[in-house]
Order: sequence, then structure tokens, then C-alpha cells
Amino acid sequence: MNQVTNTSLNRKDGRAKVTGTATYAAEHQIPGLVYGYLVTAAIAHGRIARIDTHEAARAPGVIGVFTHENRPPVSKPTNNFMASKIYEARLPLSDDKIHYAGQIIGLVVAETFEKARQAAHLVKVEYVTQAPIVEAANATFQEAPPMFGEAMTFEKGNFATGNFTAGIADAATEITATYTTVTELHAPMEPHAIIAHWQDGKNLTIYEPSQWVVGSQRTYAELFNLPVEQVRIVTPFIGGGFGSKAFPWPHAILCAAVARELQLPLKVVLSRRQMTANTGHRSQTEQTIRLGAKADGQLIAIDHAVKSCTSPVDVFTEPCTGITPAMYAASNLRTHQDLAVMNVGVPTFMRAPGENPGLWALESAMDELAWALQIDPVELRLKNETKEHQRRGLPFSVKHFAECLRVGAKQFGWQDRPKQVRSLTREGKLVGWGMAASTFPALRSTATVTVRLLAEGTAHILTSGNDMGTGAYTIVAGTAAEILGLSVEQIRVEMGDSLLPNGGMAGGSQMTATLVPAVMKACEAVLQQAKARTAQGAFANLRQSQGGHFEATASTAPGEEGKKWAFQSWGAHFCEVSVDEDIGRLQVTRWVSVMNIGRVMNAKTAASQIRGGVIMGIGQALMEACHFDPHIGSPVVYDLATYHYPSHADIPRIQVTFVGEPDYQFNPAGVRGVGEIGITGVSAAIANGIYHATGNRIRNLPITPDKLL
Amino acid sequence: MNNFTYVRATTLSDAVNQALTDRKSTFIAGGTNLVDRLKVFLDEPSQLIDISRLPMQSIETLADGSLRLGALVSNTAVADNREIRCNYPLLARAILSGASQQIRNMATVGGNLLQRTRCPYYYDTAFPCNKRRPGTGCPAITGINRNHAILGASEDCVAVHPSDMCVALAALDAVVEVVSPQGKRQIPLADFHRLPGNMPQLDTNLQLGELITGVILPPLSFGKSGVYLKIRDRASYSFALISVAAAVNLQGEQIQDVRLALGGVAHKPWRATDAEAFLVGKSANAANFTEAADIALHSAQPLPHNGYKVELAKRAIRRALTVSAQGGGIV
Repeated sequence: MNQVTNTSLNRKDGRAKVTGTATYAAEHQIPGLVYGYLVTAAIAHGRIARIDTHEAARAPGVIGVFTHENRPPVSKPTNNFMASKIYEARLPLSDDKIHYAGQIIGLVVAETFEKARQAAHLVKVEYVTQAPIVEAANATFQEAPPMFGEAMTFEKGNFATGNFTAGIADAATEITATYTTVTELHAPMEPHAIIAHWQDGKNLTIYEPSQWVVGSQRTYAELFNLPVEQVRIVTPFIGGGFGSKAFPWPHAILCAAVARELQLPLKVVLSRRQMTANTGHRSQTEQTIRLGAKADGQLIAIDHAVKSCTSPVDVFTEPCTGITPAMYAASNLRTHQDLAVMNVGVPTFMRAPGENPGLWALESAMDELAWALQIDPVELRLKNETKEHQRRGLPFSVKHFAECLRVGAKQFGWQDRPKQVRSLTREGKLVGWGMAASTFPALRSTATVTVRLLAEGTAHILTSGNDMGTGAYTIVAGTAAEILGLSVEQIRVEMGDSLLPNGGMAGGSQMTATLVPAVMKACEAVLQQAKARTAQGAFANLRQSQGGHFEATASTAPGEEGKKWAFQSWGAHFCEVSVDEDIGRLQVTRWVSVMNIGRVMNAKTAASQIRGGVIMGIGQALMEACHFDPHIGSPVVYDLATYHYPSHADIPRIQVTFVGEPDYQFNPAGVRGVGEIGITGVSAAIANGIYHATGNRIRNLPITPDKLL
Repeated sequence: MNNFTYVRATTLSDAVNQALTDRKSTFIAGGTNLVDRLKVFLDEPSQLIDISRLPMQSIETLADGSLRLGALVSNTAVADNREIRCNYPLLARAILSGASQQIRNMATVGGNLLQRTRCPYYYDTAFPCNKRRPGTGCPAITGINRNHAILGASEDCVAVHPSDMCVALAALDAVVEVVSPQGKRQIPLADFHRLPGNMPQLDTNLQLGELITGVILPPLSFGKSGVYLKIRDRASYSFALISVAAAVNLQGEQIQDVRLALGGVAHKPWRATDAEAFLVGKSANAANFTEAADIALHSAQPLPHNGYKVELAKRAIRRALTVSAQGGGIV
């Protein structure tokens, strides 16, 4: 099959979600459930001099108050990325130290949520305060240390090939510019929440939005010294995670520990304000790009130097330079990442970590270079496409980047683009066209899937892999339906439970490439076992033999292909912006995205993923910002009214097209992921469009009205 | 949220008597701002007096041609009212530019007048704040103040009033009707809200036990020309960085009368009376609008992060006046 897509299915879980019957973590009904409310630090740096819980403990309905003075026991996990990762290396309530504003300093448990919240407010804390560092200007930057060890696929930090200094000296045209982003929050629709339920004091069931139930299972087992089999993680649905729901956060560890202490099922739901400090963010970045090109546009030198920030309690470097050696060919290429510790919560993976801010800088700089050279920005990218990953020294497998650029340009009408800034107007407003490249590496992990054919005429697919709202249920069902010769309605899919066969992680855009080959293999195996060509044949055999069911389990894993090829998805965004620069009002009025992601399992949900990425990218470009008070160190956003992300009125129609062919070098299904690529390049495309409209080059996100005056 | 008692008022006098009996009580109608504040311990009343069923639910035309909006009329009902859309379009547009449909369905006229600032320092009990706890200081002055006041602020408070509706009401010379055991009184909207001075804990000049019963809109012959321009960080569901309510009455090229009010600039809806006085009798042209805008912002004192508001406000004034002088419409 060489078509990229022939399927467009409605979401299998759509009806449950819109009718409210899809059960999210905090909605599980457990008899005897009690409620926890976090007590959080009012300062950003220092220590607790005194914490008085007497009044809180006496408040109506209170069952227990926990602080660092009566911390329930928790064991330190090995905290290796692939084994038992926790987001924040410091265990909750470890000691009296305060490292960031909003840090968890206590948990109040009561009969109801309202009573717990009221009592938490009665905890009195005296602090010894030290001056916090929350501004990069006051922070000390050093070369970024390694993160997570060799197991991580992120290629970050320092890399050099050729001789940048010599290369840039030979350039006919040089661009040097610095681009910044601010702290961004994941802000998923479903808040972070957990129910911890201990049975007999030794079996732990966790209801938590987890992008990786099997990873979480191992982690909780280590945290509480339990055999893995005694821990169960249940996550049938996640209301968005974007990287913030892959591992346990401190509130979750504390909830499970207190639930064990009290021997009561305990629920903790975070407020938006509590999420700001305690469930991750994307670090602010400052990136300096230097590009050197020959007069004809051929790049000969690229330098990408990045500063990002981390927390005193864990290391996370926003890996912006990972993408640089994969984007454009240059014989002299150099990258560098610096990191500073500030008094903020732990930054972490957020949709296209590294690729997103990295491409904001690189794709803005490419646009600046195109203007400087008087070359069309699409042509400049076509001219410098690299056939190999310059860091790994491997050729890309199936790469249709050039086709993305050409098809996008044609759909958008790019050839009619006026070559001067401030040359397009409509209804008294300046109009500009911008474009940028888009990319994300293709990842894949081991997965196991069980398929059961029941005599009643249905097929069950079982795997622990998660649907974060992306559409995994639907593509699993669609894949099985195709191989088994059944309708999607005849397939029942169970996912998101650690009791099910290990289906890997919903992160790094790898769920589709991880699961689909295993679903295919298990379906083929069950037909073989049933000695049937289709499931209908198997059902007939079952009825004839009066047997119960056929069942097959299959595992798939990446092989040696990664030593021969670099796997990566590609795309291009084209947009139109309209700017009323007199009053600083901007509207994105048109959007075209063309993507090359291998085979598209479900055109409908894949396009939704791209649209979601574009919308999130428009938010990053125009409005998302978490600022901290420079003296007190607390964030000055507290909910979804103060942390702006786009409303419907901010978003134009987004036209999405997929091009290319299945990537069979990557896996037997030919699929690569689609979850993250959509956001990459979006903010650069918008800033490039604003430049075309106004002649104003904006290098600092978000582009709010004051920057357009 | 602390524990409180809840009573449902049966009559207006019952409501105000309950309020005087328990001086830590609070009226509740739509609750769209109050309930949020209760949840984060900004307000800790001992009693909620539910006034939502009292007979203040109608919009009526008075003998002198004024329009009277009952205090409990929903924001949606005001914005949808035919007479308001026709004769006071800037009020309808101001309301529709704020909040969301769901919030506007719940929010009332009286409640909108009593919205409190969304200054993040006020909103988070971890911060000092003179408005929340008098005498503790104002960290916004040295902190993140991109959204804060440029006019009429004090050393104690630089918060801005959040309402869009009130900016329109200020331009329309609205009058607030209140009732108390002492009887009824009327407060011009311009005198209803306060500048912070050294008592930023007080947003309004309402006295203890006074209850808003309605808002009167005097007739305005050139109301149809009114515009409401709101500039903000996203296209919907965000508070104004700058907003302008304007209405120009032209005779030929000459300005007979003009109304101009600003939002997002001060602790109260800001009526630009000096700029209005300058414009009366002048020609409706760019030069005069520019000078009026300069006059309106003459006393502006920006903070480190909100200097842009001065220029943005001037441009917004020019735009709003220009569109209104052309007959009005959506800006």
C-alpha cells in the first residue's frame, strides 16, 4: 500500500466523552473516599521556621494534617528515565527547605474536599526568607549537564562539525540574532488529579492521568517497596497531558504515601494555581542563531547557542539544539546549551520539547536570511535541505520535506506573494504571509498486544498503552478491523491499565508507531491460530466447535533499522496575518499545514492533532506567558483567565494535508507519529508573516499588542 | 472557602436589614465573581444574603425617556435588549466584549458594578496587598505591572477596574440607584467607583447596608454613534489592556457633544472630561482627535511595564472617536 491514508474514522470514544460517561481519574467512585488539599509555600526561597497545624487539625471533618514534621515514609526510586522516573528528584516534604513558590509543604485530609480546603487555609507558616532568583538576568548560566543518561533519545547540548569560525568568515551574507521565549504552562483541560487506594495495606491502585501506566507502575512500586504486581495504574482517559503526565509529581507521591498512612482511599485534585508550580512548565529560552550563506543562498555555517533554566530540585534542559543538525545542510555547524538554576518548579517535556523553541529561533533566522539574500524563503529551505542527519551521520528514511514545501506553497498561493514588506493591505490593515518548516523525530518502543476473538462476533484488543485524547483507541480499532475483516464497531479496545499487556508510553509522539505494528502482528497471529482468513471465519469455527474464544498475544520492537536510518517527520506551515498596527490588533486569518508523517492511520484524528498543534503554537506565538514576581518569586498567573491560550475567535480555518508515503523502513505499518510535529514552526511562521506585513521583526514571544504598536 | 450561613432575602427591606444585622455578610446574586473569590479566601463573609429572587429583574422606560435597568437583569439580557442595541449600542458591545456567554447569563447589572480587580497580587493571598490587607504594601508597583493603572493610581494601589460594562455606563452618564434603611439615593456613575488613594480596600462609595436596585440610562440623542473599542491579549475572554467608550454628536463637521471614557487605565472607569471639553465646538478631524487623546492621557504616570498603555490609549481614543464621528459601528 503506497497511499498515505485511506481511512477517516470518527473517534471510538467520542460519544462517551461528549456524553460525560468517559471516566477520568478524579471521577472514579471509591467507597469511603477521603479528600486531600495541598498546603503550598508562600515564598520562593528559604525555609520553614515554624509550621502550626493545630487549628487545621481541629477544623471540622479533618482526618489528618501532614507536613515535613510528620512526613509519611517514601523510598527514593532509582529515578532512571526508562525505569522509575519521577519528575522532581526531591521527595515531597523531605525537609524544611523551600526551593520555589507554591512548593508543596503539607497535605490536609478531610471528609470532603471543601473541608480539606478550608482546613488547609488554617495552617500557619512562618518562614525564613532568602532572595529568590526567578529572572534569567540574575541567574548564573553554565554548560548544561547531561540529562537522563544515554537511554534518552534527545540529542541535546553541544555538537560541532567542520569549523564554524572559518565557515562564517567565508559567508557572503551573515545573520546573527537572538530570540526569546517565556515560561509556558501545559494547561491541559483535565487538571492533575490522583486517587490512591490501598487494599490490605499492600496492594496499591492508582487512578491518575498517566501517559505511561507501566512506567508509573514501576515507579510507585519502588517508592513504596512493593513488588510491581502489587501496583496497578488505571488511566482509561486523559484530558490532555502534553508531556506533564508521564511520571508521578510530588502531589501524587504524597497522596499515595498519606493514603497508606491513613489506610483510606484518598483523592487529591490540584487547582490551576497549584498546577503552575507543581506540574511542570516549559522553560523560558534565549537562543542566539548565526547563519552564514553564500550569495546563492547555500548555507555554509550554522551556530545555535541556547540558554534555558531549571529548578533547584531537578535538572531539565530544554533541548533546543537537538533539531539543528537535522534541519539544514551546512559543513560548519556548532551547537551549545547552557543552563541556570532558578527558584522555579521543575521544567519538563512540553509538546515538542526542544524542537518547538528550537525551530522558533532557527526558522525565524532562516526568514531573516531569506530577506537579506532576497531569496524566496521556500527556495532557501529547498536549497539547503539535508539528506542526512548531520549529527548521527545517517541518511533519513522516507523524507518528503521538499514536497511539503511545494504542496503547501501551491495550496496557499505563495507564488503571488508580494516581494516587499508592507505591500499587502486589506480593509485598512496590513496583511503578511509567513512560512516555516516543521519537524519532529520519529520514535518507537516495544509493545505487547493481546487480541481475543469471541464467539459472539466481537474482537477485543488489550494493551496498556494510553489514549491521551489523541485518538489511539480509534486507530487501534481501525487497524484491527482492517486485518480481521470486521467493522470498527465490532472491535472493543481496552487501554490504559497496567494489568493489560505492556503497550508502552504515550509520549514523544510514539504511541502510534509503537502500538500499530503490535496490533497488526497480534491480529495476524489470532487468525493463524483460528485457521481463518478473517475474523468471520474464526467466529464460524468457534460456533462449529462450540469453543469459547481464540486469543493471541504478540510483541513488536524496533530492530537494527535505527543504525541504518534516521527517522523523522517533516512539514511546512504557511499563514496569513492581518495587523492593525495602529492599535496593536493582530488576527491570524489563514493557515495551511502540509505534513509528511509516513502512513496516516486515521486522517480525521491525525488532522486534529496537527490542528491542535497549530492552535497551541498560535498561543505560544501570541499570548501564552507565565511571569514571576521578581522580588517575591511567585507566578502572577493563577488560572485559565490569567494564563491566556487561544479562544475560538483567535483561530482561523486550518487546512491540513498529508503527503509522502508509508515509511516501511521504520516499522511494518509505515507509520510515524503526529502528536507533536504540528506545533513546531508555528510561532516562526507567524512572526515571519508579521515581518512581511509590517517590516517589524519580532524576536521575543509572545507577540502581544504592545509589541505591534 | 470558609463556612458561612445562607439566607434568601424575601424583600428589599429584608435584604438590607439582614445586611445591617450581620455586618460581615455579603449580598449574592449571579455570584460569578464572588464565588471565585470565596474559593481562594479573598472574601470570608459570615453570611450570604441571596437577593437573586428580588423584583429587580426588568428593563423599563421611564417618563423622561430614560431607561432603567433592574439590578438583577442579566448581562446577557441587557446586551440583547432591542432598545439598548438601538440607542446605546456601545453598552451592548461593551458587555458582549467581556467574559463568556455562560458568565454573562449569570452575571447581573448590580454585580458587574461591584466586580473586583483581577490584579494577580490581590488575587493570591500569598502576596501582600493593600486592597486585600490594608497596610501590607503593594508588590505590583515593583513587580509585574504590565496590566496595571496609568491614571489616578496611588502609592498604595495600582490595580485597574475590570469591568467593560462600567466603562460604557461612565460614558453614558448612568446613575446608580441604591436603597438602604435610610431610604433611596442616586449616585452618578462617575462618583460610584473610587480612586484608590490611601484606602484601596474600598472600590466604591456604597455605604454599609446599601443595596443597588438599578441603573438609569438618561436619554442620549446621539447614542447610535457610540462605539466600544477593546484591545486585549486574545480575541475573546480576556480583560482589556485598554478600552474606549466613545460617542460623538456632529452637526456638519462640528462636534456638538461628545462622550469619552476609558477602561484598563485606572481603579475606576475613567471619564475623560477634559478631552471632552476640548472637543466640544471643534471640527471632527484627526488633529483635534489627536490633541484630545493627548489631553486625556496628560496626567498618565506609567509603571515600568505598562508604558505602552499611554500610546495605546491615545491611539484607541483616536480610532474610537474617528469611527463614532463616521456614525459608529463595530471597531
